[in-house]
Amino acid sequence: MLTPSHLHELWSYRDLIIRLAWSDFKLRYKNSALGFFWSLLEPLLMLLVLYVVFSNLMRIQVEHYQLFLLLGIILWNFLDRGTSMSIWGIIGKPGLVQKVYFPRDILVISTCATALMMTALEFVVFVIFMAIFRVLPGMTIAYFPILFIFEFLMILGLSMALSALNVYFRDVQFIWRLIVQVGFFATPVIYPITIFPENVRWIVMLNPMALIITMMRDCILYRIPPEPYNLAYVALSMLVVLLLGYFIFDKLEPKFAEAI
Amino acid sequence: MAVQVEHLWKTFQIPHERRTTLFESLTSMMKSNQYETFTALKDVSFEVDKGECVGIIGDNGSGKSTLLKIIANILRPTKGTVKVEGKMTPFLELGVGFQPDLTVRENIGVYATIMGLSRKEILEKTDDAIDFAGLRKFEDTKLKNLSSGMQVRLAFSTAIQTDPDLLLVDEVLAVGDIEFQQKCFDVFSRYKKEGVTILFVSHDLGAVRRFCDKTMLLRNGEQEFFCDTNQAIDKYIYKFNENEAKDSEDVEENKLRQGNRKIEIIGLKFIDKYGKENDNFVYGDPLTVRIFYESHEIERSPVFGIIFYYQDAYCYGTTTEFKGYDTGLVYGKGYVDFIVARLPLIAGKFDVTVAVTSSDYKTQYDWHEDRPLPTFSDILNFFFSTIQAKPAAAGAPLSL
Repeated sequence: MLTPSHLHELWSYRDLIIRLAWSDFKLRYKNSALGFFWSLLEPLLMLLVLYVVFSNLMRIQVEHYQLFLLLGIILWNFLDRGTSMSIWGIIGKPGLVQKVYFPRDILVISTCATALMMTALEFVVFVIFMAIFRVLPGMTIAYFPILFIFEFLMILGLSMALSALNVYFRDVQFIWRLIVQVGFFATPVIYPITIFPENVRWIVMLNPMALIITMMRDCILYRIPPEPYNLAYVALSMLVVLLLGYFIFDKLEPKFAEAI
Repeated sequence: MAVQVEHLWKTFQIPHERRTTLFESLTSMMKSNQYETFTALKDVSFEVDKGECVGIIGDNGSGKSTLLKIIANILRPTKGTVKVEGKMTPFLELGVGFQPDLTVRENIGVYATIMGLSRKEILEKTDDAIDFAGLRKFEDTKLKNLSSGMQVRLAFSTAIQTDPDLLLVDEVLAVGDIEFQQKCFDVFSRYKKEGVTILFVSHDLGAVRRFCDKTMLLRNGEQEFFCDTNQAIDKYIYKFNENEAKDSEDVEENKLRQGNRKIEIIGLKFIDKYGKENDNFVYGDPLTVRIFYESHEIERSPVFGIIFYYQDAYCYGTTTEFKGYDTGLVYGKGYVDFIVARLPLIAGKFDVTVAVTSSDYKTQYDWHEDRPLPTFSDILNFFFSTIQAKPAAAGAPLSL
């Protein structure tokens, strides 16, 4: 569990977390001529397609729609990538589970950290786009790191549960893919929340990802600070997901080496 | 106390039909759970002191590796407790986490971190590891372009950069060529000297004999014996039972002793450089093997012989006749000395056979096989066939 002593232990393993994450990150782009540009190309291509479709055909009227869309894609991609990579975090590394011992959540944390590095790269592109479209963030940008950490920890919590469950039930990976795909459309990634009638918006906003993405856009693009109760709701749900994820992970962890 | 294991049980449940998908799991809920229970460890308790080297031997499936994995915290015990003090490094497999697409240098970084080295230590020791593996030329080559032998060398030379208090070794030495194995032995000797506690699982009984102060024999998950290494190995090989051993010893005696006993070998002493009887000898030191005999009849020029064995392999043998020594007329009690000026034997436990025959080798007077010879320790080089044995003081009167 996430006790202070465990956090202290994790801190002593920080070298390992960084090393594993970094080597995973490098491995992704070894042997490819364009290297990490591939990972930038993907969201850009998606941006292009979605922009063409939604701004022309669906006629969505949003200020800075390109940036609005790109930020949504990057943030959703972070969740998608972090969790789908972490599902393999345990079963994909049998050697590290069966032949050595370190706290096993390190495997999941380092995979999430790899996803974080990839997302950081995408944010570089986002900053360039902001410069191109001459959008300058205001003081509200200060909320960005907080919201980003919330999202990271939520992804970590989900990854903990998913990676552990997938050791025992391999269909978890398929079920999760479905959920992520449905989630992409159920979350205001490509559209603003305002397309829903006023009285059903709160249902959509129960999804913490919807809140995170909306608040991120508000604070980066529109200089609107997040509502404190929204922030509190996201923090609380993040905590619940994280603790639940760790709880499931800890319950299943003892038999990883046998079940893998 | 470095390791303390108390009443350790480990049970594995092996399903007949592996259910790995949720659907299968749900549909088979109706059926009763069908699995085999396999108890890998049954009530194992032992303690290992700091600096001890403990061997764990037994047949395949006797629970050796399971025990090591539980101590390493990879598997969790079903019942019982394991306490470990100090920093532990498991050598259960070499090259854990190696990535074929990363370079030698990068792999050292990753592997060393997994083995628990800090960033600073890695910076200091990466070059040592590369040099030890002899891969200086290939430091920026991708691992997949190295031969498998090079990869093993790299893994080993990286692994030994760790500075553990407790080392768990599982058959790591089984891989690699002779030279590599010798390197491993040297490294483990060094660790031992530095006072590292070592738990060593192996089928190589010779290695166990050389290294381990104590040895545990596991049979079907039960701890059959945990004490002296030689006894444990004897128990393992000859499946000795305490009671049976006593009965069979006499038979053994007859089997290993032949001859008409006209001249009887009545004693054997190993004498060290101080002229004292001793059990342990060190490479380079002199050794005198003194064979006491009693001749019941007057015999002319009997030939005394001696053979050294190391793990049933013939090392060296000679006789008084080979060395051109005439024992002359022999009657009554006396002794023959074989003097080795400088011991050229590697470390290990040697057996020696002594015999006496007639001058034409046709009549065997007495033949003692496999008298256990003391352990030679700290002997590093191979120098077969250079024992300078010369008989001396043959036939000298003896007062026992």
